[in-house]
Amino acid sequence: MSARRPATEDRIALLLAKHGAEMARHIRRIVRDDHATEDLLQDTLLRTQGALGLLRPGSNERAWLYRIGTNAALNHVRSRARELAALRRYAREADGTTSADAASPADAADRLTTDGDVRATLWARVATLPERQRVALTLRIANELDYAEIARRMGGTEAAARANVHQATKRLKRELR
Amino acid sequence: MTTFGQRVRPSGGHAEDRAVERIVRRTFGTLTGRSGEPLLYAVMDGTPVGVLGLALGAAGLRRLTFVKDEDDFLARLLAELPDTPVLRSAKLDTVRRALDRYFAGRGFTFRTPVDLSEVTPFQKRVLRATAKVPAGKVSTYTAVATEAGRPHAARAAGNALHRNPVAIIVPCHRVLRGDGSLGGYGGGLDAKRFLLELEGVLL
Repeated sequence: MSARRPATEDRIALLLAKHGAEMARHIRRIVRDDHATEDLLQDTLLRTQGALGLLRPGSNERAWLYRIGTNAALNHVRSRARELAALRRYAREADGTTSADAASPADAADRLTTDGDVRATLWARVATLPERQRVALTLRIANELDYAEIARRMGGTEAAARANVHQATKRLKRELR
Repeated sequence: MTTFGQRVRPSGGHAEDRAVERIVRRTFGTLTGRSGEPLLYAVMDGTPVGVLGLALGAAGLRRLTFVKDEDDFLARLLAELPDTPVLRSAKLDTVRRALDRYFAGRGFTFRTPVDLSEVTPFQKRVLRATAKVPAGKVSTYTAVATEAGRPHAARAAGNALHRNPVAIIVPCHRVLRGDGSLGGYGGGLDAKRFLLELEGVLL
């Protein structure tokens, strides 16, 4: 092998050449998002570095990549569904409503697996919110903090934290429909 | 890539194929530092002359070579082209079908252009001279050396043919020694004999 490249790069190049397109297609059909597919494909390949001793050339490596890639893709979809379900739950909570027709996490998962742009769109919208709304919402959803804790971290009252999340979710909810 | 689109129609959806290729190319760049136009490859098992490795670049076919197996072929490609992404691809199916027809005795009908940019000018002239030898005919190392402009360079012509990146299509198997003996062949002399007999040359 060439001296200028570490062996793991050659190993990854070989796996990528043989299985990259098939893996990318498989992962992309699950997550329906090009950026996520790229991340997950790279993660999957990088994980082979720790497993080099376990991986033998031939069909084993393909089965191994499939298993790791599929699990990573499914985890990604599940966490994405959780994120949206959480957002909707907090939206209702901040609204003070407990609507019976509210989407269940399963519905959210269905929607997400058929519309891969939702998450990207959602976070792109979040980025355009006023700063305090953005920070409050992120702490609530991504860090799953309660309003007292958000108020403590941001400085301010619990009511203000709740109002910020409420304003943010009201806007996002409208845009998510 | 549109470069190949005119020659070969992808079997899957165009949008998905393009997205997948983009993702794999970007991953090559990020994880291995290989960037630019990818080299597409395929491996043909169980041909009458053993396992064949095929590689296609934007300018044409760059490899048709005798290999041990897929990993052997890939390791060689990756070592020979240290900056290029390499991808298994169905876009070589056209060449595979032409090879199947050829091995089945249905003629020498390769239309995919070949890319000889990796060889020296003299080697290129030798390979071009060799490509003019039609199926069913043979030539000699001295004759192709002469055609390439160096009549006394029969041995160098032999070396050029030994480095032929696209065996069969550039038919180096049709070049023999002046005394009519087979000379050498990258795929082994049995393969050379098989190809000549397939083309109706009586040895």
